[in-house]
Amino acid sequence: MLEPLHFKFTTENEKIVKTEANVGYVHRGIEQACCSKFKFRQVSFVVGRVCGLCSISHTTCYSQVAEKLVKLDIPKRAKYLRMLVIELDRIHSHLLCLSHVAENSGFEALFMQTMRYREFSMELLEAVCGNRIQYDFSIVGGVSRDLRSDVAQSIIEKFKVFRPQLDELVEIYNSNWSLSLKNKGIGVLSRENAIRLNVVGPFARASGLEVDVRNETEDVLPWKEVGFEMITDTAGDVHARNMVRLREIYVSMKIIENIINGLPEGDLLVDTKAFPEGEAVNRIEAPRGELFYYAKGNKTQVLERLKIKAPTFSNIPAMVETFTNNEYASVPAIIGSYDPCLSCTSR
Amino acid sequence: MQVFLQLSVLMTRACHALQDKFQIEIMKTFFKTIGNLFRKPVTIPFPAVATYKPDDYRGLIVFDESLCIWCRRCETVCPPGAIVFSQNITDGKQTYHYSPYVCIYCQECVRTCPKQGCLTQSSEPGHPATKEKDVNNVWNKLFTDSLESRVAYAAEKKKQQAAAKANPPS
Repeated sequence: MLEPLHFKFTTENEKIVKTEANVGYVHRGIEQACCSKFKFRQVSFVVGRVCGLCSISHTTCYSQVAEKLVKLDIPKRAKYLRMLVIELDRIHSHLLCLSHVAENSGFEALFMQTMRYREFSMELLEAVCGNRIQYDFSIVGGVSRDLRSDVAQSIIEKFKVFRPQLDELVEIYNSNWSLSLKNKGIGVLSRENAIRLNVVGPFARASGLEVDVRNETEDVLPWKEVGFEMITDTAGDVHARNMVRLREIYVSMKIIENIINGLPEGDLLVDTKAFPEGEAVNRIEAPRGELFYYAKGNKTQVLERLKIKAPTFSNIPAMVETFTNNEYASVPAIIGSYDPCLSCTSR
Repeated sequence: MQVFLQLSVLMTRACHALQDKFQIEIMKTFFKTIGNLFRKPVTIPFPAVATYKPDDYRGLIVFDESLCIWCRRCETVCPPGAIVFSQNITDGKQTYHYSPYVCIYCQECVRTCPKQGCLTQSSEPGHPATKEKDVNNVWNKLFTDSLESRVAYAAEKKKQQAAAKANPPS
């Protein structure tokens, strides 16, 4: 796993007793650039470059916070298309994380298999957004492209192929004996600790904590309308996190099918001449957990302040805590199961 | 006694059946593995066979000079600054400059262009910069030079107007 994160372990024989985390190797000064060099309409393309995996979550979250600043209500079709791309993105991000857990547990063949099955979601994102990684799909005032009917049809068809493949993956991740040695009962985070350390995302949901922004906010994107379900597990170990991610992929697929079947007609983009004014916050559920944006405008084209809080930032204290009393050899699998995104966190 | 004997016989048979089942499973896996050796790989032999590309892929920006009204809106909205207009100091003619290596293919210029069809997005993907003249420093110089050329033209025009005002043609 290529992440610029440094953990320093103190061990007694093979058992970890103390961990220190060191982050901040990839600081790029994006927040400052957003408040000085770029106009507020251009910032949605800049924040998309914060992270390669959850690019759409960042652009959507920024677009929403900017729409709150200029007091703009976007069309319903644009909201639905945003949710569609966020869920497609979640599928590919979760599969990537699962493959990394398999690789870090020493199961190279499963890594290859998961990455092979993941390819369809990348192709779908390319077909929907026109680009494989940097989607640039959400812009201030709506979305940049429409969903073509043949692309919508191909999404439904590829899901029909993917569903048995996902069942196969669930079977392997759930009951493979060799993988269970590295995953079951390893890296346990209890529910009490999860509450105390303020964990977000699938990491928290695997410990039985029901936190999901999609369940909490209804003002910007109508998640419950398209069939959102909360997925939780109780064990809190690496295996439980795998299972939560795999089951969330089923929910994402259901949401996407509902969106395609009930896509409302209407405009994609509304325009306004207003300049950002006042303060606003916005939250969104990125694949790794709650993503938080704060913005402040001063009636000019350039924002006065933009603050990004990435999900991994909230999870770092719990990451450090969870290593304790595990064997040193289990560390790669545990780090993989956190699904850290340090380029989001350091920026 | 008889019952116990029968039970033990049954148990042995069941064990054998289970063992046979396991053996069948193992043999199946074995043949599958052997078969995999002769199967074609699932990956695409890339340079020989093209990878998947949608027909509305976001590629390079195409400019049609005959339609342009020189409003310079595309230059204003472009997030990375990949479009710039320079101006000739003598006759004031503007020239469009575009760097495909700076462009992020976000389509913002195409959306903002008031003239339909002047700026369009092709589906041809951008290429990586391989020569020194392609990289950012040359483009940055061209960018600042273009901005300066416009300022110089504006100053020149102002000077000419002032001169024309001072000495009106009789």
